[in-house]
Amino acid sequence: MLKYRFNSVGLLLLLLIAIVLPFYLADYWIHSLTVALYYVIMAVTWNLLGGYTGQFSLSHHTFAVIGSYTSALLIIRIGTPLWMGIVSSCIFNAFISLLLGILCLRMRGIYLALTTWAFAEIVKSYIRMDFQFTGGDRGLNTPLFFKTIDPLPYYYLFLAFAVITILIIAIIMRSRIGYYIRAIRNDELAAQAMGVNTVRWKVFSFMVASVLASMAGTLYGHFIGLVSPVLGEFSEMAFIIIFVVIGGMRSQAGPVVGTISVRFLAEVLRKWPEVRMVIFASVVILIMRFFNGGLIEFLRKVYQRIRHGKDGESVSVFQKME
Amino acid sequence: MGKTENLFLFFKKWSRGKGIEEIMNSQSRPLLDIKNLVKDFGGLRALSNVSLNIQKGEIRGLIGPNGSGKTTMINLITGIYNISGGAIYFSQDRIDGLQPNVIAGRGVIRTFQIPRVFKDMTVLENMMVPALCQQQSMAEAKARAEELLEFSLLTRMKDEPAKNLSGGQNMLLQIVRGFMKKDLRLYLMDEPFSGVHESIKGIIIKNIKAMNQEKMITFLIVSHEMTTVRNLCHRISVLHKGELISQGTMEEVANDPLVIDAYLGGE
Repeated sequence: MLKYRFNSVGLLLLLLIAIVLPFYLADYWIHSLTVALYYVIMAVTWNLLGGYTGQFSLSHHTFAVIGSYTSALLIIRIGTPLWMGIVSSCIFNAFISLLLGILCLRMRGIYLALTTWAFAEIVKSYIRMDFQFTGGDRGLNTPLFFKTIDPLPYYYLFLAFAVITILIIAIIMRSRIGYYIRAIRNDELAAQAMGVNTVRWKVFSFMVASVLASMAGTLYGHFIGLVSPVLGEFSEMAFIIIFVVIGGMRSQAGPVVGTISVRFLAEVLRKWPEVRMVIFASVVILIMRFFNGGLIEFLRKVYQRIRHGKDGESVSVFQKME
Repeated sequence: MGKTENLFLFFKKWSRGKGIEEIMNSQSRPLLDIKNLVKDFGGLRALSNVSLNIQKGEIRGLIGPNGSGKTTMINLITGIYNISGGAIYFSQDRIDGLQPNVIAGRGVIRTFQIPRVFKDMTVLENMMVPALCQQQSMAEAKARAEELLEFSLLTRMKDEPAKNLSGGQNMLLQIVRGFMKKDLRLYLMDEPFSGVHESIKGIIIKNIKAMNQEKMITFLIVSHEMTTVRNLCHRISVLHKGELISQGTMEEVANDPLVIDAYLGGE
């Protein structure tokens, strides 16, 4: 219970700060925060897939790419209105994620990771190769969502979408589906023997995460005004995993805290790009060694220490019995 | 060799026969009806033409030396393996070929020899999973879980992650979790007493007896614990090298020359 309360209070505080923050910031920082919010959505949705369901997908960033290109291509090549491009992109991604989800159903761990990675590489290579249609490495110019380059409206758009995404996942995880998903990750065979339709809920999880990621990618394209294969680079996927792991896998606030912290650190270290990766890697090693529950676990321990004046280490049943 | 000999002497000693006449003489159609079941793993025939039926409300023991096909049988009934031949009927419906979750949905639940609990979930959350699969409300499922945990003396651990439990407690949790299924009709237990402390064994037996008497739940129990099998089961079936070699009360089975041969190592 304490865990839930701690998460909710933390998120609410973050939200309040997020709403008033742009009034005190320069455009550059608002832009950076908007980009960070895009990654928050990607991290939170990957946490549903890789964290809660245990499907270690390496193609999550690709759904953002497919999303952004679907919308851009529909608008540029066919001339559909912007809203229709976004909606069609969602539907198309739901279909693609359904197919990939079914393909990956019986795969776990490294096999699932490699299959999804291969899918990501195919998509990226195709975009690069079919220059006539996709614009190749140069990408495609897409219309802006708000017809302005002022980052403030985009900031609130991404903030709203990030909050909706976090809420959707929180609702899923607190519902019966949350129990099924966690049971599947813990022991798929036992879950099935208890009556959990593992096929249905694994595909469901894959589709929800992928469609939300594609939506984020679509909006991102209409925020930057350009879609390019850069978002499909493997390093994008690596960063999403880093955000989740540093923040705290399988916690609702973790990916949010992780993304904001790492993005902030990245901005501060922008002047020294060569040391940036070394610092990230060192942080990952430190977190893995001392707090494999991530920053959120660290914050929780600090919070418990302040409240109770002791370490919040969980005590096993046997210690309690003594 | 010595172990199987002891095992045989043990159940021979206790073979006094126990039964509920009405179940044994029942002319009604069986709840579980297995016909000529065959299972091949490549060139190995794990089960060969096994026919077995269990009446509603019966507690059936399934015994046999190691490698005789007991666990395979449970895996086939619950849909984890596909059958190679024969048919499995549950409540007159053919269930072989169905997915394990569909079979569970019809009220057939199982436990595993090595307890398979959801380790990162709390004891209470573990209990909720089968109930929520049946569209029971959260409140209803929670109330029933707490009631069952109380009955099984696990209430104190309900908010602990299952990974903090001992081996025996994990087995108990695994068994009690199955009772969360509201329309549970057939419960298949694979070695529910192995590696379990006497006190926990007592709770498991208490649970089985209560559920059998109060809710007429049918049990198929695979076990090597002859004393327990004798005390608990109405009838016993004996598997040996993938074949059903004997069926009946413990007394009948213990005096069957084929069983004696199997347990005393007639190769």
